[in-house]
Amino acid sequence: MPAVQETIDQVRGIDIDQYKYGFETIIEVDKAPKGLSEDIIRFISAKKQEPEWMLEWRLDAYKRWLTMVEPTWARVEYPKIDFNDLYYYAAPKNVTGPVSLDEVDPELLRTYEKLGIPLREQEILAGVQTSKVAVDAVFDSVSVVTTFKKELQKAGVIFMSISEAIREHPELIKQYLGSVVPTTDNYYATLNAAVFTDGSFVFVPKGVRCPMELSTYFRINEKNTGQFERTLIIAEEGAYVSYLEGCTAPQRDENQLHAAVVELVALDDAEIKYSTVQNWYPGDKEGKGGIYNFVTKRGDCRGHRSKISWTQVETGSAITWKYPSCILRGDESQGEFYSIAVSNGHQQIDSGTKMIHLGKNTSSRIISKGISAGVSQNTYRGQVSVNRRAENARNFTNCDSLLIGDKCGAHTVPYIEVKNASAQIEHEATTSKISDDQKFYAMQRGIPEEEAIALIVNGFVKDVIQQLPMEFAVEAQKLIGISLEGSVG
Amino acid sequence: MNIQTNQPASRLTAAETALVDAFAAQIGELPGNGAVTGTRDRLLDDLKKAGLPTRRIESWHYTDLKNLLRAVPDRVAGAAIDPVAALVKGATVLSILQGQADATSSINGVTISAFRDQLTDGSAMAGLTALDKDDAIGRLNGSFVRDGLVLAIAAGAEIDAPIELQALHGEGQIHTRFPVSFGAGSKATIIERHQSAADGAALVSSISDITLEDGAEITWIILQQQGAADTHLAQIRAKLGTDAKLRLYVVNAGGKLVRQELRIEVQGEGAELTLRGVNLLGGDTHTDVTLVLGHNVPHTNSTETFRNVVFDKASGVFQGMIRVAPDAQKTDAKMACNTLLMSDDGDFSVKPELEIFADDVICGHGATVADIDRNHLFYMMARGVPENKARGLLVNAFVAEIVEELEDEALVEPLEEIISVWLDKHA
Repeated sequence: MPAVQETIDQVRGIDIDQYKYGFETIIEVDKAPKGLSEDIIRFISAKKQEPEWMLEWRLDAYKRWLTMVEPTWARVEYPKIDFNDLYYYAAPKNVTGPVSLDEVDPELLRTYEKLGIPLREQEILAGVQTSKVAVDAVFDSVSVVTTFKKELQKAGVIFMSISEAIREHPELIKQYLGSVVPTTDNYYATLNAAVFTDGSFVFVPKGVRCPMELSTYFRINEKNTGQFERTLIIAEEGAYVSYLEGCTAPQRDENQLHAAVVELVALDDAEIKYSTVQNWYPGDKEGKGGIYNFVTKRGDCRGHRSKISWTQVETGSAITWKYPSCILRGDESQGEFYSIAVSNGHQQIDSGTKMIHLGKNTSSRIISKGISAGVSQNTYRGQVSVNRRAENARNFTNCDSLLIGDKCGAHTVPYIEVKNASAQIEHEATTSKISDDQKFYAMQRGIPEEEAIALIVNGFVKDVIQQLPMEFAVEAQKLIGISLEGSVG
Repeated sequence: MNIQTNQPASRLTAAETALVDAFAAQIGELPGNGAVTGTRDRLLDDLKKAGLPTRRIESWHYTDLKNLLRAVPDRVAGAAIDPVAALVKGATVLSILQGQADATSSINGVTISAFRDQLTDGSAMAGLTALDKDDAIGRLNGSFVRDGLVLAIAAGAEIDAPIELQALHGEGQIHTRFPVSFGAGSKATIIERHQSAADGAALVSSISDITLEDGAEITWIILQQQGAADTHLAQIRAKLGTDAKLRLYVVNAGGKLVRQELRIEVQGEGAELTLRGVNLLGGDTHTDVTLVLGHNVPHTNSTETFRNVVFDKASGVFQGMIRVAPDAQKTDAKMACNTLLMSDDGDFSVKPELEIFADDVICGHGATVADIDRNHLFYMMARGVPENKARGLLVNAFVAEIVEELEDEALVEPLEEIISVWLDKHA
């Protein structure tokens, strides 16, 4: 930016060790031994009291995974992961059926309190009578408590942990699990299929508009625990659901692996809105520690006129490898991707989306805003493909990158593949620093420099912030502020 | 744990085997001293080990050469080919017929020699390297290259008449090279023309190695009109010195399998690149234009515009990577790639890439793929222009706009003529 000298100094001086959410909860943990083998998978499956077919499914995936090779195409660098040096199962000890929040370990509640997670309804509802947020909180690998279940049941919405769903709704799981991200999909998705421990399951039946925003907070807590969530959301004909996912993790020295899979299925006229705020521990200022976040997220617009919208705010993790995608199978289906990716310190982000146009008159929209500071590398990697038979496909893509400091990198790698002449595809990308004119304009009106920069950054990401549900928009803005602390005021 | 199952001992395809065999047959007669022959051996060995690139190699993602290059024609020596008239009136034609250079012409301010002499005396060594581990064209050409033209434009020389490098060939294998250096402050216009003069499949590899010394102002036009059965694997390597200005115009209007790599390094402050491209794709061609542009020092500018028209079963690719090095502040780079996809049997893939390591830069790229704008069509049809004709006019305007930027009528007219003739034939 020819960033004024103070800004540069401050960016250099940022101590991301001060990671606001870096603390550790001391709770007894029920843990499987380190390492990955068929026995561990049997152990996980048994712990979850899963039916035989689920175990088979996992073992098949594991066998497949053994033959696969770790992908290397992303612009991220990290030491080789020893998959046998990780724990694949850890569950808070006193998990056996708390019926109310009062039964939950107070230590755990305090952890959430520190994170600012509104677990208690009273707190959630304080002042906001109309907005209810159901929380299916994942603490390490097991769902601890689920609220608002009753109200959801009344509407016919199923919202529970995926382990419960496997036991209680095997027919839905059999029909949908792995139908969007098959077990053979990619290295990390296959690993997830073999060892996933928990996650959320949402089923919104025909014609139902889910009466509240659904949300899950993931938190990695136990040392060396890979966390492998599996989320499955199904919206039947005409249904609507908005799902929020937010993550924070405590400070760690060793790198932690996180390989989640999220599958969304939207049938005719259904709409799914999936929002993420991710602020896992990014590592310290030397680039030590931090979460490895290798996620496969995919939505299938299976029905006509269906719509899937991804919104993400990525500020955490040492490494992010994440491409929430939409398969636009149904005619007139729509896919959207709104993303803010902020990297600072030694963070590496390789993220983007895929829009696969298969049906007729499908449309997609991609808005991606990358902000790099420190010595981080921030890559947008996205694909828009129009199938031979996808008449009248429309896509608009806009990726903007903002660089703060001259030691970081911003990269854009879009893949555009068009096989139908009626398609209309537009892509634009820009990379720049904060313009001196804009800064001058603000400062000339008496706004201090750092504040002016914050203002401009906020304007830069506005298009995406607006897509977030209210509850998240505030948190997201706060997070961006924390992530860039020192560099943008 | 991670058992590598996808890399068995590599088996050579028919084309790869043919190349290895051809090399064994030709090595005895390929020009070159000991060092050159050693380099050729090594390049071929690398080619053999790596195989022809597949889509798993990122820079060849859309051109799976291993799969697309089915056969390699035998070398045909001494085919009789006559030069054609110069593209531009008054241009000096230097011809390379069936890969054999004629370096007997002389131009004031220009030293002209045959590349085979550089191979023989070993001075060609410096350029005989592959640019990176995936540089299949560099390896192929370096192994087999026999001849070409070496031009050195003297410092301060202003060459008024365009120089046409006329590469004509019939069937067979042709591997040529054009090392051209432009002295400080020199001015010139070069037309690099590749054209098939006979039916029958040819495999052409060609590398132009261009150096612009400080302040040189050069217009370089590439006109590729290979035959419908030809494979054209070309590379343009260019280096720009301080305040050098390169205007590079590329017109692709032929070939069955075309890969054209533009590898440009901007190395002097104040340097400026203007890159314009027109790709006319018809029949069952697969044409891939891949640009790798490095802005390596502060205060450099570049603009790149490509216009593509796709008819029939043609398949087109544009990959454009702009890399801004750390400390290359004040870089201003803009790239656009616009495609008219006129046929549901055709396809076009675009991968514009930005790789930016400096903060005070303005870089952007835009890409569009669409059919002709209905409003434009309506506008013309409402004025009584029949649909067919209206479409023709709009497509023509879409690409002609690019060559018109050359401004010099003497250059614009013949290129527009080539575009019109091509469109009449395919539209």
